[in-house]
Amino acid sequence: MQPIDRIRLGLAVGTAKTVTKLVKTLNLGAASVLPGEISRRLHPRLLPLLFKQVNYGVILVVGTNGKTTTALLLRKILEDRGFKVTHNSSGANLINGLTTALLVDTKITGKLDTDYAILEVDENILPLVLKDCQPQYILALNLFRDQLDRYGEVDTIAQRWQKAISPLPSETTIILNADDPTLAYLGHQLSKGLTPPSKGGRATQGFEATSNHTPLACTPRQKVLFFGLNEPQLYLEEIPHAVDSIYCPSCGHLLDYQGVYLSHLGDYNCPSCGFAKSKTAINSQEWPQILIGVYNKYNTIAAGLLAETIGIQREDICHTIKNFKAAFGRAEELTIDDKQIRILLSKNPVGMNETIRAVTDIQKNKPSPVTLLVLNDRIPDGTDVSWIWDVDTETLTHQGGKLIISGDRTYDMALRLKYSESLLENPNLELIIQENLTQAISTALEITPPNETLHILPTYSAMLEVRENLVGRKIL
Amino acid sequence: MELSIGWLYPNLMSTYGDRGNVICLQRRCQWRDIQVTIVPLDRETPSETFQQVDIIVGGGAQDRQQEIVMRDLKGEKAFALQQTLNNDTPGVFTCGSPQLLGHYYEPALGQKIEGLGLLDMVSKHPGIDAPRCIGNVVFEITAKPLATELETIWGDRPIVIGFENHGGRTYLKTVQHLGKVITGYGNNGEDGMEGAFYHNAIATYSHGPLLAKNPFITDWLLKKALENKYQKEITLSKLDDSLAIAARKAMLQRLDLSKIIATN
Repeated sequence: MQPIDRIRLGLAVGTAKTVTKLVKTLNLGAASVLPGEISRRLHPRLLPLLFKQVNYGVILVVGTNGKTTTALLLRKILEDRGFKVTHNSSGANLINGLTTALLVDTKITGKLDTDYAILEVDENILPLVLKDCQPQYILALNLFRDQLDRYGEVDTIAQRWQKAISPLPSETTIILNADDPTLAYLGHQLSKGLTPPSKGGRATQGFEATSNHTPLACTPRQKVLFFGLNEPQLYLEEIPHAVDSIYCPSCGHLLDYQGVYLSHLGDYNCPSCGFAKSKTAINSQEWPQILIGVYNKYNTIAAGLLAETIGIQREDICHTIKNFKAAFGRAEELTIDDKQIRILLSKNPVGMNETIRAVTDIQKNKPSPVTLLVLNDRIPDGTDVSWIWDVDTETLTHQGGKLIISGDRTYDMALRLKYSESLLENPNLELIIQENLTQAISTALEITPPNETLHILPTYSAMLEVRENLVGRKIL
Repeated sequence: MELSIGWLYPNLMSTYGDRGNVICLQRRCQWRDIQVTIVPLDRETPSETFQQVDIIVGGGAQDRQQEIVMRDLKGEKAFALQQTLNNDTPGVFTCGSPQLLGHYYEPALGQKIEGLGLLDMVSKHPGIDAPRCIGNVVFEITAKPLATELETIWGDRPIVIGFENHGGRTYLKTVQHLGKVITGYGNNGEDGMEGAFYHNAIATYSHGPLLAKNPFITDWLLKKALENKYQKEITLSKLDDSLAIAARKAMLQRLDLSKIIATN
């Protein structure tokens, strides 16, 4: 590092630390974004300078759902083995959030002393991050439709990832979900050293045009590993409605699914071109899992495979898995008096289908289960709430019980639930509408029987509000 | 009584919760003891089926999916769909699907996509840098005789509350506008008009889904379909719409329109 760089870096770090202290002292939030923003203005090349100092390497975690839980598990596995880990644990996953997380562990001299940096990265900014960073590992969990008013299509994102990843050196290991056809195809292309078509790509040419690009002569080939489930007993009875990628990413033919684990994740092959689920480097049947739900089985084996690749023993990983506690709002459990509360972030159709599946599994055979649903439509939630009609809420209403509904869009959710029933009155189902969240939480706690669990399904900003209400302090 | 609802390409054209429109139609039949079947109209469906359903529903698609649809919706299938709508079968086309019914859609990049040419209108994307039209939208239905028929069902001005999210802009020629924008962008953000109305087909950028908060449109579609099928005047039994009314009130209040529109 040049002396001038060292001075500017020191200045940026010092400022960041002052800002963090100020924000926290004044109780303005957790300071997970602003310090990064300010210090990057003071030193535009800050991020690469920080990345280079990480002792063993940077691990980027991407995907629509499960980043926070997977990153947290991986962090615990590494910390349990004595490694020092930097992690953007607040879930702030845009550039400023990543910078802030790294700065927290940077000394005023500009020295970042950490063994691994685990960074959750928003799917849209991965290409931007890769301009500044040569990660040791990239872990890609899944690609679903998320916020329609903000983001592009699943195919376009995968293509941009491929373009950004393919120039990385061969030391980088890419770990992908084999059960997601889009990601399996990405891995397939990467391991052949292929780059996507340069202009416009599939969106304008039609998907048939993709499978025969000429490989670039000097393209490095990253190591590609796959994780996935091989547990047919977990197959869903039918493919849910909220799916994106049931068409072959290589030739466009309808994929043939032997079974679906969740959304479009499953065991599949293409009857037309022969494209099929990639061979996994892990046998999921041998692994315990964290928390509840099939989606957390994916998060577990994703972190597990990466940790094994780093060289950590299986029994040590499993020890951490068994002692794992949830990240905030992700199947997080709290106790208030004699009642348990489990918060399950439900921010998009696939995520909510899975939280409903997990909740109804637990509530099965309970006489009158209580669930609180909170739907907001602020920027972090997406302003378009039409996605709730892509959720199979019927699973929840058919089971019956008491459903309390709240949030900015209380009545939109209430309508969705009312229209989930083919009878005007289901005697086992009670919809309780309370626009005011504080009241809704009080009611929900009141009607939850002692020693039972209240399940809360909030969107992102609603989850923060719920926690603030329950814990009494701000997260962001 | 019984009805069949034809759902255009359910796997390909259902991006923005548009399945909700099918659910609304289905449930309001079930709640009234009307037998209802949902018939997917997709790539595997023979063209005759397009003419055998009582209501047609179409939703929005992502670009790649829309292309697959347009490749399939040609020849006999296109003709069958045209015949059905020309024979006054009620239809509701939301989000991207109205673009299919016009002459063409010109995307920001790539080639012009030909439509069915049934509605005399064209859609164009003003360029990749142009902002999308996103947000809550409120408009009053003015198309004739639809507006009067809806008012009879609802007992109030037919004001639609929805959500729009479109990159393309639509320009109508001779086809009738569906309504007049009160707040939001509408067809193109320029002329203050929204949607199109042709025979008994409603075309609008508004989703949300459209029918959930505007149950009078749902009931109008059902009434038209039953009248076509049974060739007699139908009066549907009233349903409890208090949740929809509360949802409407909440949105109008937020948009500061509750004083201007004293609606149901």
